[in-house]
Amino acid sequence: MNMMSRFLMALLLLLLSTAVWSQHEQGQAHEHEHEHEHEQSVSENTADAASVTPATGRLTTTPEIEAALANGGTAVVADVLGVVCDFCAVAMNKIFGKQEEVAAVYVDLDTKALNLVFKPGASLDDEAIAALAVQAGYRISAVHRNAAVLGS
Amino acid sequence: MRIIAGLLLLLISAAGSARPVSYVGGWTLIEESNRQSTAALIHYTPSPSWSLGLRSEWVRDEDYAITSLQPTYLLKRWFGQHYQANIYLQGGIGLASGTSGNPLSSTTAAYAGVIADWETRRFFLGYNARYVDAGHFGDNAMQLVRVGWAPYEGDTQDLHTWLMLEVDHRPESKDPVSVTPLLRFFRGPALLEVGFNIVDPTPLLNFTYRF
Repeated sequence: MNMMSRFLMALLLLLLSTAVWSQHEQGQAHEHEHEHEHEQSVSENTADAASVTPATGRLTTTPEIEAALANGGTAVVADVLGVVCDFCAVAMNKIFGKQEEVAAVYVDLDTKALNLVFKPGASLDDEAIAALAVQAGYRISAVHRNAAVLGS
Repeated sequence: MRIIAGLLLLLISAAGSARPVSYVGGWTLIEESNRQSTAALIHYTPSPSWSLGLRSEWVRDEDYAITSLQPTYLLKRWFGQHYQANIYLQGGIGLASGTSGNPLSSTTAAYAGVIADWETRRFFLGYNARYVDAGHFGDNAMQLVRVGWAPYEGDTQDLHTWLMLEVDHRPESKDPVSVTPLLRFFRGPALLEVGFNIVDPTPLLNFTYRF
């Protein structure tokens, strides 16, 4: 192994240790910042429940979501574990977008939340939402409904 | 005995596709080109825990190609509010055929490997290992480690940019260990990776599209 390879291996180890340290610090900071109550937990044993803190629980609005609300739809916000990239969002959008009860769906990576608006008179219960999230490859940690998600 | 060995290969397999299991009902198209081979894969995910794909891989320097059925099994996924980690087992069985005038006859080929990754919106760490037995075309093994860092956290539908470094180990190669710095661009259902191997000068070009 030449000098260049040794240098890059050392750089690799440095990057790795930095990443692990940063994640540890981030987790500790969030534990101190959030002390809200969980509304409902449907996490499974693969989820790192100890590190779960509630997201905002507030609906993220998009033009589609606003239109669905204006048409009389009801909103749900579900906190999702493991959504770290756009592929995650695409998967959730595909799975939930195919449900006939759903008028609009948006996955917000910043709040790590699945935002749903149901068609007027339609809904999915918490278990159905959790089961659909599993089909997308993810887990729901909490479901927020009704006035709370609209901030009223 | 050969059947058992083949099954074991399938169970212990590995290859380097990004997100080898998608959402239920999802199709994924993947292209990978590195210093050894160029491959195309299309896979379908019937269950959250496995996918089945058709893979065609051209091993350029050895003048043969493998066309195979490739199952991938999600052995374990860990979820956190800020991270996701996965271990996949992957295998393949198919036909190896000569290319570029290679006179060797076609033969059965099989491969097996493991893929592991840990990812947040800022950091990525991945490991792949694979062993390929292509009959009289030969066999080879590889393993690679990749680390990545995103300079900013893109939200949904933003362009996500990653700086990554890949170190691969191919014992049969004239340069057993090589390094590839690369850029990953990611938006919605499309992922593009562009890099260049600085030890064994070869471009890296990977593309994934999730339907």
